[in-house]
Amino acid sequence: MRFFKLPPQISRLVLLIFAIVVSYLVARTLLTPASFRDRGFYRGAALTELASFTPVFAGKKALGERYPEILKTLAKGDHKTLSCEGCHGVVDQQQLKDPQSKMIKPTATLCLRCHTDNPSRPAWFKQIVLKDHYSDKCLECHLPHEPNETPPEPAEEATTKPAPEPAPAATKEAAPQGSPEAP
Amino acid sequence: MIMPITQVLAEVAPHFEGYVYPNESGTHPLWGVLIVLYPYITGLVAGAFIMASLVRVFQVKPLEPVYRLSLLTALAFLLCATLPLLCHLGHPERSYQIMITPHLTSPMAIFGFVYAWYLMAVLLLELWFDYRRDFVAWSEIETGWRRILYRTLALGMTDVSDKSVALDHKLSWIISIMGIPSAFLLHGYVGFIFGSIKANPWWGNAIMPIIFILSAMVSGIALCVFVYMVLCWLRRRAVDLRCLDMMGMYLFYALVIDATVEALDWIHRAYSAEEGFHVMEYMAQERLFYTLSIGQVLMGTLIPLLVLGTLQVARKYVPDIVRKRLYFTCGVFVLIGVLAMRWNVVMGGQFFSKSLRGVMSYKLEFAGAEGWLLGLVLLSLPFIILTVLIKLFLSERLPTEGHVPHRLEDPSI
Amino acid sequence: MNSSIPRRRILATFGGVFAGLLALPAARAVKKRLAKAPGAPRDYDPTKHKWLMCIDVDKCIGCGLCADACKTENHVPEAAHYFRTWIERYIIRKPAAGSATARGEVQVDSPNGGRGGFAPTLVPREEILKSFFVPKLCNLCEDSPCTQVCPVGATFDAPDGAVLIDPTYCIGCGFCIQACPYGCRFLSPVTKTAEKCTLCYHRITRGLKPACVETCPAQARVFGDLKNPVEDDPLQAFVRNNKVNTLKPHLGTNPRVLYANLDKEVR
Repeated sequence: MRFFKLPPQISRLVLLIFAIVVSYLVARTLLTPASFRDRGFYRGAALTELASFTPVFAGKKALGERYPEILKTLAKGDHKTLSCEGCHGVVDQQQLKDPQSKMIKPTATLCLRCHTDNPSRPAWFKQIVLKDHYSDKCLECHLPHEPNETPPEPAEEATTKPAPEPAPAATKEAAPQGSPEAP
Repeated sequence: MIMPITQVLAEVAPHFEGYVYPNESGTHPLWGVLIVLYPYITGLVAGAFIMASLVRVFQVKPLEPVYRLSLLTALAFLLCATLPLLCHLGHPERSYQIMITPHLTSPMAIFGFVYAWYLMAVLLLELWFDYRRDFVAWSEIETGWRRILYRTLALGMTDVSDKSVALDHKLSWIISIMGIPSAFLLHGYVGFIFGSIKANPWWGNAIMPIIFILSAMVSGIALCVFVYMVLCWLRRRAVDLRCLDMMGMYLFYALVIDATVEALDWIHRAYSAEEGFHVMEYMAQERLFYTLSIGQVLMGTLIPLLVLGTLQVARKYVPDIVRKRLYFTCGVFVLIGVLAMRWNVVMGGQFFSKSLRGVMSYKLEFAGAEGWLLGLVLLSLPFIILTVLIKLFLSERLPTEGHVPHRLEDPSI
Repeated sequence: MNSSIPRRRILATFGGVFAGLLALPAARAVKKRLAKAPGAPRDYDPTKHKWLMCIDVDKCIGCGLCADACKTENHVPEAAHYFRTWIERYIIRKPAAGSATARGEVQVDSPNGGRGGFAPTLVPREEILKSFFVPKLCNLCEDSPCTQVCPVGATFDAPDGAVLIDPTYCIGCGFCIQACPYGCRFLSPVTKTAEKCTLCYHRITRGLKPACVETCPAQARVFGDLKNPVEDDPLQAFVRNNKVNTLKPHLGTNPRVLYANLDKEVR
């Protein structure tokens, strides 16, 4: 064979290189994950794996099926864009199926999180300065599911504080404009 | 005890000025000391190899005493080059994936192949062709495990006729010619890793790979100066002054080119003053003051340029012993300066926020996975390996026809 | 050298290796068939959807509910430098007296990514010319630089528009994090792999909305399927009614996330 008549440096080196290349190719076939290059240069199975995590939030749609009346009420007022879990906290699938479980009632701090006066907020958004506001107990005058309405008068004697005016009619949210002016 | 020392060595508590993206505002940088070391080590490899190529390809005879030494230095550093990367990865056990499914649009993906190519096809082959005759000769002289070692390295061949050796030299010459662009590729791609990141204006420009290659040449030559002089000092042998003068000359001219291109980068940045330039300027002056102005510019560039430049002109007026000391000092300064340059590139890019509005101040630990200690260990490892290689392959008591630092008949100091 | 017997042995090795090489494609095909074919959860086909989220800057009220929801939904580490989505506050001051400039200094901040809302700014109201919040997330680039630089193919552009990371394949080199111009990636201290907004992939493949879109009270985040627009699709309305912008368009990443009412100061 003419190959073996070549000087031994070259023939032995070529054999060595050949052995290295072949072992690399074998290793590459064995070690490449099964679904690689199925959809692109990645492991195709990763798509399934990433989609298989359990969702944490139940979502407004699922909660609306559990509490359809509340959803209908909510849809009439300015809070129609809010999610249930934004105020009531995470509701997981177990809780949703359990007829005994109730939603957590949020506190006034949560109302203030959105509605505290802040110059970076858009001007169309209703904001209050707490110390200048009527009371720090939001529920005395406001209904979170129906923000445009007021709670009904208590059946007993009237309170000393006069009931404040109902909240003004809903403003259009479609075209927010205006610069933030000092209230 | 270690905690107060850590506090002293670590930078100030993490904070930022201006605005940085929240994901950038962590306490530690994503790429730390280890990623500073990796381009440093591969740069030294490339530079040391170019030194050797000057002998083999360009026939620069005065450099012959450092031919084998520079190749062995390159090998010692190349063997350690992957370690900083492995230590840095979140999942080093998955590092083989770079070889199995390399994503060819990523500069980092060619690392495995360029490294393997350079190690096996260039460096080891060139060394082998140069040493083959000696391996055969030494396997006959030595006994015990050394005999087996040299026999294995000779790949079982025993032919050392003139024709065979002539073929060795020819093949070695071919490998060396291939090796020059391979060395540029080995280190140039590292520069491209940074140069390709358009998201970060400190890194993403076309001149970055060029700067990396040029500073690699400079650091490699400086390393050869350093290693050669330390070896001679340890062995109490006279330094070949003609060789040292030649190395000094190459170091000077490489430094001139490197300094010019780096200065060009800065001048261009300052002149075009694109968005975020003033933040960069602030960062360079405040966060990078010691490593940039003192380390990279003063120690790494200006002083060696001045000293080596003077030596080029006034060499015969400078006594030998002073010249040797000056070369050594310049070599060390350049080595420190290039390390500082790697630091400035890697860390500077992370101090500078991609929001173009802020500068981070990261904390670097002493101990730990990305700490100074590990960096120091990884930097000393190549020298340990080099010692072993020198003992095995540049031993003074073994006869050889190849290019060695000193002949057996050379006088001691 | 006695060449006949060693030569035969070498030839035999050669032959064996060649046969092995030829068998490689066959082995590969068998391995593929044996491995489980990748499917979608239930009947989800990623090629039949193209998800997009857009932002209306003028609607964001900076409540931070989205950033909180994201961390909860995706179990993101609590610390203040790991965010899949965050909110930035821009405060543009009035020009300094006598400076004859149109707008004054710009201040940007994102305390804890906007989680828990924003504490009132220390800048006095009289000095503020304009101020707004900007939610940030993965920009779903058409030509993503992050997937371009991944050395192993662990991060990728899914056929349905999300840019995802395979946490079992990522080696944690951090290159993608450096390459993202928008700062939307981070290295998870838990998994030691890169992590980023996945558009809540596990939710959208089940017909749910991403957690941030779900919780946003102001409809600042507009989410939809470009291949399957619904009746009164908010995404279609968004692109019809607004002039839009993208972040860092000069970098050529072609981000798909559109911002309406984006100020020039936003990076």
